[in-house]
Amino acid sequence: MSQPRSSYAVGTGLFIVLGFAALAYLATQTSSVANNVRQGDSYDVSAQFTNIGQLKERAPVKIAGVRVGQVQSITLAPGRDAAEVKLSIDKRYDHIPQDSVATIFTSGLLGDQYVGIDYGSAKQMVAAGGTLARTKSSQPLEEMLGKFFGAGGVVDNIGGSYTVKADFTNVGALSAGAPVKMAGVVIGSVQSVRADPTKLNAEVILAIDKRYDQIPDDSAAAVFTSGLIGSQYVAIQPGGSPDVLKNGDEMILTQSAMQLEDLIGKFLVNGSPSDKKDAGSGKQ
Amino acid sequence: MTPSARPPSDDAALVRIRGLTTVLNGKTIFDALDLDIRRGKITSIMGPSGTGKTTLLKHITGQMRADAGSIHVDGHNVAELSREELYKLREGVGYLFQNSALLTDFDVFENVAFPLRQHTKLPEVLIRNLVLMKLQAVGLRGAARLMPNELSGGMARRVALARAIVFDPQLILYDEPFVGLDPVALNQVLKLIQTLNQTLGITSVLVSHELPAVQRIAHHVALLSNGKVVAQGDPATIADDGSPWTRQFFGGEADGPIPFRYPAGDYATELGFAGAAK
Amino acid sequence: MNARAPQSRNVVTQSLAQIGACGLFLLTLLAAVPRSFRYLRETTRQLWFVGAMSLTIIMVCGLFVGMVLMLQLYHVLSIFGGTSASGMVVALSVYRELGPVVTALLFAGRAGTAVTAEIGLMRATDQISAMEMMAVDPVAYVATPRFLAGLIAMPLLCCVFCAMAIFGGHLVGVTWLGIDNGTFWSNMTAQVDVHTDIVNGVLLKSLAFGAVVSLIAVFQGFTTPPTSEGVAYATTRTVVASSIAILALDFVLTAFLM
Repeated sequence: MSQPRSSYAVGTGLFIVLGFAALAYLATQTSSVANNVRQGDSYDVSAQFTNIGQLKERAPVKIAGVRVGQVQSITLAPGRDAAEVKLSIDKRYDHIPQDSVATIFTSGLLGDQYVGIDYGSAKQMVAAGGTLARTKSSQPLEEMLGKFFGAGGVVDNIGGSYTVKADFTNVGALSAGAPVKMAGVVIGSVQSVRADPTKLNAEVILAIDKRYDQIPDDSAAAVFTSGLIGSQYVAIQPGGSPDVLKNGDEMILTQSAMQLEDLIGKFLVNGSPSDKKDAGSGKQ
Repeated sequence: MTPSARPPSDDAALVRIRGLTTVLNGKTIFDALDLDIRRGKITSIMGPSGTGKTTLLKHITGQMRADAGSIHVDGHNVAELSREELYKLREGVGYLFQNSALLTDFDVFENVAFPLRQHTKLPEVLIRNLVLMKLQAVGLRGAARLMPNELSGGMARRVALARAIVFDPQLILYDEPFVGLDPVALNQVLKLIQTLNQTLGITSVLVSHELPAVQRIAHHVALLSNGKVVAQGDPATIADDGSPWTRQFFGGEADGPIPFRYPAGDYATELGFAGAAK
Repeated sequence: MNARAPQSRNVVTQSLAQIGACGLFLLTLLAAVPRSFRYLRETTRQLWFVGAMSLTIIMVCGLFVGMVLMLQLYHVLSIFGGTSASGMVVALSVYRELGPVVTALLFAGRAGTAVTAEIGLMRATDQISAMEMMAVDPVAYVATPRFLAGLIAMPLLCCVFCAMAIFGGHLVGVTWLGIDNGTFWSNMTAQVDVHTDIVNGVLLKSLAFGAVVSLIAVFQGFTTPPTSEGVAYATTRTVVASSIAILALDFVLTAFLM
């Protein structure tokens, strides 16, 4: 009996070891732990972006494509048209020139966003708790395409849990509950979308957080898409008027959802995008 | 019925059953049954099938609880013992199951060694010797490494017997030990029961149908029927005591106080002849 | 022992009675845990039977689940040009749902039925009574070690299953369909979180499923009428009850953990 007994014990031991090995493999090789090479000492640097797009906390921070840290927090200072992003960077990379440029990039067309830092030439290095003054914001796809084809330009605004109205000629797939963003940070949501029977366009009611009550009344609302196939949201681009939006106000400047098909159609009809006849006239 | 009476170990009766009443699924199994099992003797419990002989053994070991009445084993009221006390008591009781009940996971040796391993911390050498001694006693020392499914029914019974006596209990309950044994094995088992009783003074309770076998070794016979002890006495003479119970049981007649036929409606009616007859 | 519930009772009351009895049995089982520490060797032996012996089926099934998942996702995601995300989707769906659930279903079929049948037969052949007569508590010696073994084995089996599924996905995705190896891993590591996916998904769920399946298997074995028919029914019930319990519990756990 001692023979089979010890083989049970050995076999069971092997089984347990195999199980834990598999767990260790899953936990370290296939999860984000694999990315946190040394989550040890790090220092914080902040950077302000006018639009963070889809950037999330814990997104990677890269220099020359190499991961050096992650995004610690993203906040929108109330009343300010910028997102403050705290970057946590590994202590080993503490020679970042102060005039380096932090840019929000997208990995591929559909990928997640990350912060890339391009080295500047200043002798002064950025210190822990310091700020990277030079930043480049995330570029919403629509904005890029819009600029490209000359549909962009206008747009801007702000809000609190108060409602404002906006008319769009086309809301695309926008539905109630979709986020309302300013500078890429959510500040409210779409309360309702309905067709106006007389004006024959879409009337969208936006509920905006009370904290953001300094939105100029000439701000513009635009329907954007997160990424190429993502859900749609309303982006508010602040204007410059001294008067602010109040509950029940209507936003005059709106930019409707872009149909990808339309854009591509235009592109094909106009030929090369460099001869922007149509686009140029629309732009200015 | 003084609860937890201190062990009156000079009591002539090792097991004292008084007024035992049990109802199972609406059927009365025991009806105020009284029985004494005397210390150091072989008592045989006989009776027709279904009178609850096995159930009685289960009551004695505390596996089943009675609805009324009391059972004292060596002075302890079984019904009042806590789980630990009951288990303590059972260590001193051997039980031979009708179908041997060997643990199919273990070989013969480990089956016999099982109680020792569970309750003692004896060194391996001692366990080995004890087990081999018991196996030698039932003539199966050579089969120590066989698995239970490789044994014949008779061999399995003998292994179970070896297991039941491995702790040298003061009381052994044999549930139908002779069923399915060939004459040689039967003789050996009989001799073994007798030897255990005579040399070690082990009190034995023997549930069996087989009068000739019982007559050879038992000191006392109790005949159970209808939930009562209907006759008891010396095995040599009990068959001739003239009561209708013993006459029917040992004579093997269908009619008598022992119900042979299960209660049923009128025979002719059920066959559909009643209407025609009337 | 009253498992032969009266036929007249309807399915609902019968199921409720079973659940209640099962809950009480769990208490008995847990109460016997301290006593079963004496039978550590028996627990090891059961771990061998329910765990190590289930490895083959778990590994083979894990491999194929990963492979077929990758194949399906590749074709769906290629519509959106997002095939590079398929490794990540395989990992997430396996960790969060398929790994624990499929492992538990396989475990119920492979180990649960074996435990039920074994205990049922032990009862039918009086082995359980024999243990009681030898002053060995059958709950502590037979039931609890099997329950504990199931509890320990399930998370380990689930980890093995998941690792095999990732391997299968990699096999199909990278070596066959030509997804870039680096993309496969970087997308996966970017999205899989240790806490929400591995601890809450793989470990917690499989631990809960292991407890439920083992409890049902042991309970059915212990309460079935000790006849061949009873054992056959009990084995079937183990699979049916386990499957329902696993999927229902999966929903509840997902709702709470998400």
